[in-house]
Amino acid sequence: MNHIKLLFFATIRDRAGTKSMEMDIPADMTILQLKGKLGADYPNLKESMKSVLITINREYAFDEAVVPLNAEIALFPPVSGG
Amino acid sequence: MQPSNLPTIYSITESEIDLNDLLARITLTSTGAAAIFTGMVRGVTSRGDAHETEYLEYESYIPMAESKMKQVADEIRAKWPVVEGIAIVQRIGKLYPKTPTVLIACTAAHRDTGVFDAARYGIDRLKEIVPVWKKEVGPDGQEWVEGDYVPKPGE
Repeated sequence: MNHIKLLFFATIRDRAGTKSMEMDIPADMTILQLKGKLGADYPNLKESMKSVLITINREYAFDEAVVPLNAEIALFPPVSGG
Repeated sequence: MQPSNLPTIYSITESEIDLNDLLARITLTSTGAAAIFTGMVRGVTSRGDAHETEYLEYESYIPMAESKMKQVADEIRAKWPVVEGIAIVQRIGKLYPKTPTVLIACTAAHRDTGVFDAARYGIDRLKEIVPVWKKEVGPDGQEWVEGDYVPKPGE
């Protein structure tokens, strides 16, 4: 198993109802599989998983990436700073 | 001077943006020009979907945001090696109309060195890859503003 930390921002945080959570996932889980799991476990997040941006350890990550051990994963909408 | 010795400031802050202080910190004895972009909260919007804004509430994934601001500064230096100092500052929290929210400043020896383009690139890139979001609060309620840029691998 892999123990990871999830961070949520902006609309994703509102829908998740929390800023962060910790979770155990299988060791070889990809970002695509993680999105599937989050959408299934938290129905409020299902729709958001289609357009969410995801980072692994503070770098943008994509569907095929395998989640590294003890990763810090963040989920958020396209950025709107400035 | 090597890029590593040139002043580069990047930060997310809840404090007022102090232009004079930032400018002093990115001015070298060889500097003769600074291009500064600052954005502020617009209280009345008339372009597109006309509306009024009471305030904006900004939040950030701070450690990643500061690392992406450094990346933007590195990209500026790669494209415009003549740039001397760079300051990139994003203010977060609850910010009211007329308040400066972001500042990008680049300095160089002369104004015709590309320094205007460098500052322009800085704000454009910040709005693409630096993880900051704002919630807009107005007379008709509140709404998260979402960007439309999807970063590519390596960004």
